[in-house]
Amino acid sequence: MSGETHVESPRRLVTIVAADIAGYSRLVGMDEEGTIARIKRHRRDLIEPTVAEHNGRLIKWMGDGFLAEFSSPVEAVRCAVVIQQSMAGRNAALSRPHWIQFRIGVNLGDVIIDQEDVFGDGVNLAARLQALADPGGVYISGGVYELVKNKLVVGYQSLGDRKVKNITDPIRVYRVLPDPAAVAQARRSRQRLIAALVALVFCSAGVAGAYAWWTATGTVRNPATVSSPLATTPAPSGSTALPASPAVRAPETKEERVAAAKPPPKPAPPREPDTVALPGGAFLMGSNDDPSERPVHRVSVPPFAIGKYPVTIGEWKQCVAVHECPESATAGENDAPVTNVSWADAQQYAAWLARVTGARYRLPTEAEWEYAAHGGTQTKYWWGNEMKPGVAYCRGCGEPYDPHHPTKVGSFPANPFGLHDMSGNVAEWVADCWHKDYHGAPADGSAWQSDGCREHVLRGGSWQNDPSYLRATSRDSYDTGVRYLTHGFRIARSL
Amino acid sequence: MMGRLTRRRLLAVFLATLVAARAFAGPTPAAKDAYLYFIWPGEGQRIKGAFWCRFGLRNMGVAPAGVRSPNTGHHHLFVDVDEPLNANEPIPQDKKHLHYGAGQTEARLDLPPGPHTLQLVLGDADHIPLDPPVVSRKIHIVITQ
Repeated sequence: MSGETHVESPRRLVTIVAADIAGYSRLVGMDEEGTIARIKRHRRDLIEPTVAEHNGRLIKWMGDGFLAEFSSPVEAVRCAVVIQQSMAGRNAALSRPHWIQFRIGVNLGDVIIDQEDVFGDGVNLAARLQALADPGGVYISGGVYELVKNKLVVGYQSLGDRKVKNITDPIRVYRVLPDPAAVAQARRSRQRLIAALVALVFCSAGVAGAYAWWTATGTVRNPATVSSPLATTPAPSGSTALPASPAVRAPETKEERVAAAKPPPKPAPPREPDTVALPGGAFLMGSNDDPSERPVHRVSVPPFAIGKYPVTIGEWKQCVAVHECPESATAGENDAPVTNVSWADAQQYAAWLARVTGARYRLPTEAEWEYAAHGGTQTKYWWGNEMKPGVAYCRGCGEPYDPHHPTKVGSFPANPFGLHDMSGNVAEWVADCWHKDYHGAPADGSAWQSDGCREHVLRGGSWQNDPSYLRATSRDSYDTGVRYLTHGFRIARSL
Repeated sequence: MMGRLTRRRLLAVFLATLVAARAFAGPTPAAKDAYLYFIWPGEGQRIKGAFWCRFGLRNMGVAPAGVRSPNTGHHHLFVDVDEPLNANEPIPQDKKHLHYGAGQTEARLDLPPGPHTLQLVLGDADHIPLDPPVVSRKIHIVITQ
């Protein structure tokens, strides 16, 4: 006991969310490192930010699950539903045995809260509910149900009273259905499955009949005349050609397999992107043109080098060739800027380039980028305060303009620092996490990072944006791991 | 031996036809009874300051952009967009066309005071609207100070 009087009771009425990963040992047994890395990623990108967004607190992370407390049962259930829906989305790209599925129980109870842990019946009950829940499901206690039933637009299914281990009285259990229509849908989808099975049986009967007819007639037609365009199509394996499989457009999930099938390439040093070394210095970052650019603040940028152009498809392909970068972004001429890259892809390229060259390549920080884009000027654009023809590529920048494609790098004049395409063409990822304005931004030119960052900063506007996005101070954001057709990047190097 | 070859050829033709049929189909098909809506806010709602906008989708699933799984898509929120939707092009990305490609089903919005319109549009793995487009009703809200 400390000498100070501590009047605050450690007992509190809170909503406890207990979650664990279904089949954790099986997942770890199958792929220990991969599973743990994925769980870590889910924790950082999904669990921690979602709990925080719903005003909750992560009390304990157990490796195969977690405990969180919320002061509002509505927020607790909402958080559980968001986590489950997001996990379903994240699992969609994987085969079933690799799915990471949480079972979640939510209970309202009087508990004893300690900094690192939480105790009491209320917690045990949440854990029991979680153990009852099906993978991907959320089970709530009767107490929680009474408080949220009219406030959340989700469906509930009563599972009646359940007797659980080590708890004297039976507890009332409800299953949360993310959508009120889900019950009906579940029933309908079963009917659809039966219909599909029946159709499949008929279909295979038809195919069998066709075989029989084909072999019986014995006519050897020239297959080339029957199917000249089709005969060249490599015969797909049965499983990938089922009509229910996803669309045929460039499937990204195939990339790894395709890459793995290629013979190992000869290691050749990559051609490093052209860079311009800048002296650095102090400048006023931001503007009053948009709330996201406020407040205008003084930043000192140390000397650094930055790409003369955005990274090109030719440069990107060198990284793809050694299986270090995804193949999704290689459509186009070699001197076109690489597009359809996420921030994570851009980061991967920079990390690879730094590793193979030994130079300190990285993404530019947002401050470095803005300093470079101004080119020593203080106007909205490096050429003045208004858009004019022949200086940049965007919607409304002048002719020629093709809304479907970026233009090859260096098609427009360089700014006073010798940098091309800072405004327009592709929007460029920078190292910083997205913050809605500059309150609390660093003043030393470093990247502004934060934990659980879901969005990063894009600068310079794209060829599909209007001229206001091309201002040196204009900021935009996008989800860190998501690719979009107008997004590219340029690299920087520490000196 | 001959029969086996012919059969294999026939199978190849059959499967290739399926592939070709899908290639010609072009856009990603929407589920027949897909329904996109705002859980919150409602039509005509007056809201003070920033708020959580919650997206509802029935009979289809939400998957992150880039995931090619049947009957899934991801949310896009159109704020004050008056131009008609171009159903054959990727949904634009700017301050009026907000993307939720990580598979989000809710978003914190901080709009300037005044009247605004909101509309949800579901996009496929490449941010292209589904066929037929799955869009919500356009709702009108007012942000008060």
